[in-house]
Amino acid sequence: MKRYLHLLTLLLASLALGAQTPTGSVHIKNGTVLTITNGVLTEADVVVENGKITGVGKSLRTPAGAKVIDATGQFVMPGIIDAHSHIALDAVNEATNPVTAEVWTGDVLDPFDISIYRALAGGVTAAHAMHGSANAIGGQCETIKLRYGTYNPEDLKMQGAPRTIKFALGENPMRVHGEGNRILPRTRMGVEHVFRQAFSEAKDYMAAQESYQKKKASDPTAVAPKYDYRMETLADILRGEIIIHCHSYRADEILMLLEVCKDFGIKRLVFQHTNEGFKVAPELAEFGAMASVFADWWAYKFEVYYSTAYNAAILTRNGVVTSINSDSEDYIRHLYHQAGKTQRYGQLTDDEALRLITLNPAIQLGIDARVGSLEKGKDGDIAIFSAHPLSIYAVPQMTIVDGIVRFDIKADDNDMRLSVDPEKTEDMMLEYAVEHRCMEGVEGHAAHHH
Amino acid sequence: MTKQLARWLSPLLLFLPLLAAGQGERPPVTNAYFIQNAIVVQQPGTVLEMGGVIIRDGLIQAVGKNLKAPADAKVLEGDSLYVYAGFIDGLSNVGIPKPKEETGRPEVKDPGNPPNAIAGIQPERSAADMVDASDKSVEELLALGFTAAHVVPYGSMLPGQGAIILLGGRGQTGAVYRPESSFFSQFEGSRGVYPATTMAIMAKWRELYLQAKQSKDHSARYSSAARGMARTAYDETLEAFYPVIDGKQPVFFAVENVKDVFRALGLAKEMGFQLALANADHVEPALADIKASKTPLFLSLDLPEEKKKEEKKEGSSGSDSTRTTPTPTIDTKMEERRAAAQRMFEEQAAAVAKAGVSFGFSTLTAKSKDIRANLGRMIKAGLTEDQALAALTTAPAALLGLSDVMGTVEKGKIANLVVTDKPYFAEGSNVRYVIVDGVPKEYEAKKKKKASDPNAKVSAVGTWSITVDVPGQTTTSVLEITGTADDLSGTITAEGETRQLSGVSLSGDALTFTSQFSAGGQNLTLSFDLTVDGDSLDGSVQVGSFGTFDVEGSRTSKPDRQ
Repeated sequence: MKRYLHLLTLLLASLALGAQTPTGSVHIKNGTVLTITNGVLTEADVVVENGKITGVGKSLRTPAGAKVIDATGQFVMPGIIDAHSHIALDAVNEATNPVTAEVWTGDVLDPFDISIYRALAGGVTAAHAMHGSANAIGGQCETIKLRYGTYNPEDLKMQGAPRTIKFALGENPMRVHGEGNRILPRTRMGVEHVFRQAFSEAKDYMAAQESYQKKKASDPTAVAPKYDYRMETLADILRGEIIIHCHSYRADEILMLLEVCKDFGIKRLVFQHTNEGFKVAPELAEFGAMASVFADWWAYKFEVYYSTAYNAAILTRNGVVTSINSDSEDYIRHLYHQAGKTQRYGQLTDDEALRLITLNPAIQLGIDARVGSLEKGKDGDIAIFSAHPLSIYAVPQMTIVDGIVRFDIKADDNDMRLSVDPEKTEDMMLEYAVEHRCMEGVEGHAAHHH
Repeated sequence: MTKQLARWLSPLLLFLPLLAAGQGERPPVTNAYFIQNAIVVQQPGTVLEMGGVIIRDGLIQAVGKNLKAPADAKVLEGDSLYVYAGFIDGLSNVGIPKPKEETGRPEVKDPGNPPNAIAGIQPERSAADMVDASDKSVEELLALGFTAAHVVPYGSMLPGQGAIILLGGRGQTGAVYRPESSFFSQFEGSRGVYPATTMAIMAKWRELYLQAKQSKDHSARYSSAARGMARTAYDETLEAFYPVIDGKQPVFFAVENVKDVFRALGLAKEMGFQLALANADHVEPALADIKASKTPLFLSLDLPEEKKKEEKKEGSSGSDSTRTTPTPTIDTKMEERRAAAQRMFEEQAAAVAKAGVSFGFSTLTAKSKDIRANLGRMIKAGLTEDQALAALTTAPAALLGLSDVMGTVEKGKIANLVVTDKPYFAEGSNVRYVIVDGVPKEYEAKKKKKASDPNAKVSAVGTWSITVDVPGQTTTSVLEITGTADDLSGTITAEGETRQLSGVSLSGDALTFTSQFSAGGQNLTLSFDLTVDGDSLDGSVQVGSFGTFDVEGSRTSKPDRQ
C-alpha cells in the first residue's frame, strides 16, 4: 500500500508540474537491448532525457537527475503498441446510425480504467482506443499512451498522432442496423452501399463548400452551406487526413473496400482482424493497405471460420505491414506471447515477430517516427523483461512511458485502482471474455464478439 | 375506493398541495414583520448580537440593534434565535414537475436521426415556463432553509434554459425571479437514439454550436441586406444558442465525475463559451483549470452513502484479551480504500475552499433528507462553518449574479431569510422560520425522537388515540392493537373508516406496522415507526413518497388482563 502510494505521489507530483505531457529521464544500464531497427545490442544502455531517447549503446553517461535502472541480465525493448483496443473508454459504440464519422473516442477517454495499468504490466505503452464495430462507418479513434496515474482524460492522448477512424464490414453493422432497425445495411452489399453513399455525399458537400469559397469574395449574397460535422469528417478522409482502420474478416469484402477506396482516391487503409487476409495478401501489398490480426483467434461467429494461425506470417512474407493486436483487456497483457506464436506458425525471425507488436502497429497508426523502436530521438517508451520477450518464461519487469516509470513489478500492489466507488463492492477478478467491447453499447442484440 | 382513500387521508394528502398555494389565496394581514432580539448572521463572519430585522413588502427594510417595531409589523420573537440569509441552490430541478419515467427505446423511424424532442435537444425550452410552486420538492428544500434556486428542466443533452426562482414566495407567478438565466447541458444520452453516448453528445455540441454561429451570422447579414440572398431558415434550437455565443448566457453543465469536469472545461475552451460547472462531486484534479478559467463551480450536496457499521458477530466483551490481531486480509484492505474514497468525496468542499476557489452548492442529485447531514460531513472533513455558509449564501449569489438582491442580511435585499433555534450547523438545530420574499413560514421545532430500547418491556396492546401532525393541521385516529407480544395485529380507524394493519411488530419498545391503501391502481403505504413509553407513544409515519410526519398518542383503554 505504502509503496504504491509513494509511486502514485511521484506520478501525481510530476503531473502537477504543467499541462504539458509529463516526461522523465532514465538511464537503463547493461541490458540486452532489442532495438527492432538496429539489431540486438548486448550489455548496452538506453538513455532517456526529458521523455526522448538520447542514446542507445555501451557505457553511456547518466544525465543529471535521471533515474538509473540496472537491467543486467534483462531484456530491453520498445514499448509494445496495440493497434486494436477498447481500453480506457467510457463509451465504445454510438450504435444509433450506420455512419457516425463525427463521433470520437478521444472525447470519452477513461483514465481510471484499471486495464491501463494491467496493459502496462504486459509491457504495453501505447494503444489504439477504437470505436466499436456496430456501424459501417464508426467513430474516430484515439491513439493513447498509457500514462497511468492521471485523472485528466486529456493526458492519455498521444498528441500529434494522426487521426484514425473505425470502419466495419460484414455481420456487425448488418445485424445492428439491418436486422435491428430495418435500415441499411442489411446485407454485405448494403455495407458497400453505405460507404459509397457516404463518400458521394461528402464529395457533394466538398463541392458546395468550394463553390461558396469561390463566390464569397465577389458575391455579397453568397451563403455558406450548412455546417455538417459528419460530412466534414468524411471529407477529411477523402483528403487523406484520416487513416481508415476497418474491421474485416472475409476476403471478398476486403477486396470490396479496396475497390471503394480506389474509386474515391483513398490511400491510407488498415484492415483490422483481417482473418482471410492470407487469401488476398498480394492485393493488400499492391494497394499498400496494412493488416492488424489476431495470432490464432477465430470461429466465434460464422464469418470467422476460415482462418489460420499462419495469417501473420503469410501477410508478412507478402510484404504487407502486419501487426498483432489484442482487441481485449486480457490479451493486451500477453501481446508478446501472441507475437511468439508466429515463430511456431510461420517461422518468423525474432525481429519480424517483435515488429508485429512494436514498429508495425506504429506504422499503421502513423506514429512510427516517434515510437516502435529504440532509436535516438524517439519517445522514451520502453519495456523491460526478465528474459527474451518471445520466451514463454519472460516476465515484464518495468514499463516506461515518456521516460517515466509507469509500471514496476517491485511496486506492484494488489490494488492499483485510481478511482474507487465507495458505494460499490468491486469484483477484483478479471473475468476473461465475458463481454468484448467491440459491440458494447449495442442494444437488443445477442453480444457476438468482435 | 378513491373516495375512501381521499376521505381517510384528506388531512394528509389533500392539504399538501395547498401548503404553498394556500398562502397566496388569502392576503396576509400585514406585509411588515419585525424579528427582534435575534443573533443576526448578516453574512459569514459578520454577526449582530441582539439584533433586529424589519421586513416590509418583501424587502429587508432595516437591520440593526435597537430597532423599534413598526406599528403595523407582526413581531416574531427572535430571542436566542439565529437569522441567516436564505440559502441559494446553485442548480436543481426543484419546482419542476418530474416527467413520467419512460423505459425502452422511443418509437422512431430512424434512430440515427430522431426528432429533437426525442434526441433531448431542446435548448429553446425554458424552466420558467414549467415552474410549479406547489411541487412537493419546493417544500422539502424550503424546510431546509433554501429560499431561492437556479432550476433547470429535466431532460437529456440540452434540456432547456434555467431560471432563478424563489421557493414558495408569493404564489406561482411570484416564483420566477429571472427567466432564461442559463443554458443547461449535461452528458446524458438519449435511450437508443442519437446522441446516445457522450461521444455523440460532444460531436453534436460542436455541430450545433458551429451551425448556430453560422446561422446567427447569416441572419445578421440577411437583416441588413436581404435582397438576392437565400433566406435564413427558422430554427428555434439554433436561435437558443445566440445568447451563449454572445457571452450573455452561461452554459451550466451538470457533471457526474471529474472526467466530466475535464470534458466540459475542454469543450468550453474549444467552442469559446462561458461555462459554469454544476453538481460536481470530485474536482480536485481539475482545480487549477477551474481557477485559471474562472469557471463558476457548484459542488453536489450529494455524498456517497455512509456504510453502516457492521456489528461484530462475536461478543464485544473484553474478556478475550489474549486474541491476536488478525493479519490484514484482502477484504480489510478493500475496506480501507473504500473508506478513503468516501473521505475523498467528503473533503472536496474543504479542498476547493482551501484552494481559494469560491463555490456554491447544487442539490440536483441530493436527497433533501440527506442535505443537512451531508453539510455536516463536509464540515467534519475540514470545511469551516463560515465557508459552508458562504457556499449556501454569498458565493452562489455572486456566481449567479444575484449579489445585489440576495445572499446577505442587508438593507434593501429581498427578504429571504432562514431562522433557526441554534446555529444552523449545530447538532439538533431546528429551522423555525423560513422567510421568502418577505413572507414567513413557521416550522415546529422537531421533537427529539426517543431512542428505542430493544430491551424494554412494554405492551402495545390496547386502544390508542393517535394524532398525526401535518404542518398546520392534525388528524386524530384510533389505533386498536390486539393479540400477544409475539403475534400482534390491529386496526386503525379514521374518519369513520377502519383499516387492517399488517406487519405489526413490537421489538423492545419499538412498535412498527404498515397500513396499505390501493386506489385507482396505485398503492400507498403508511409506515408507522413508534416508540411506546408506558401509556404514551410517539414517533412518525411515512406516507408513501409524500413525506414523514410526527405521530403522538396515548392509550385510552387496556384489556382487563394481559
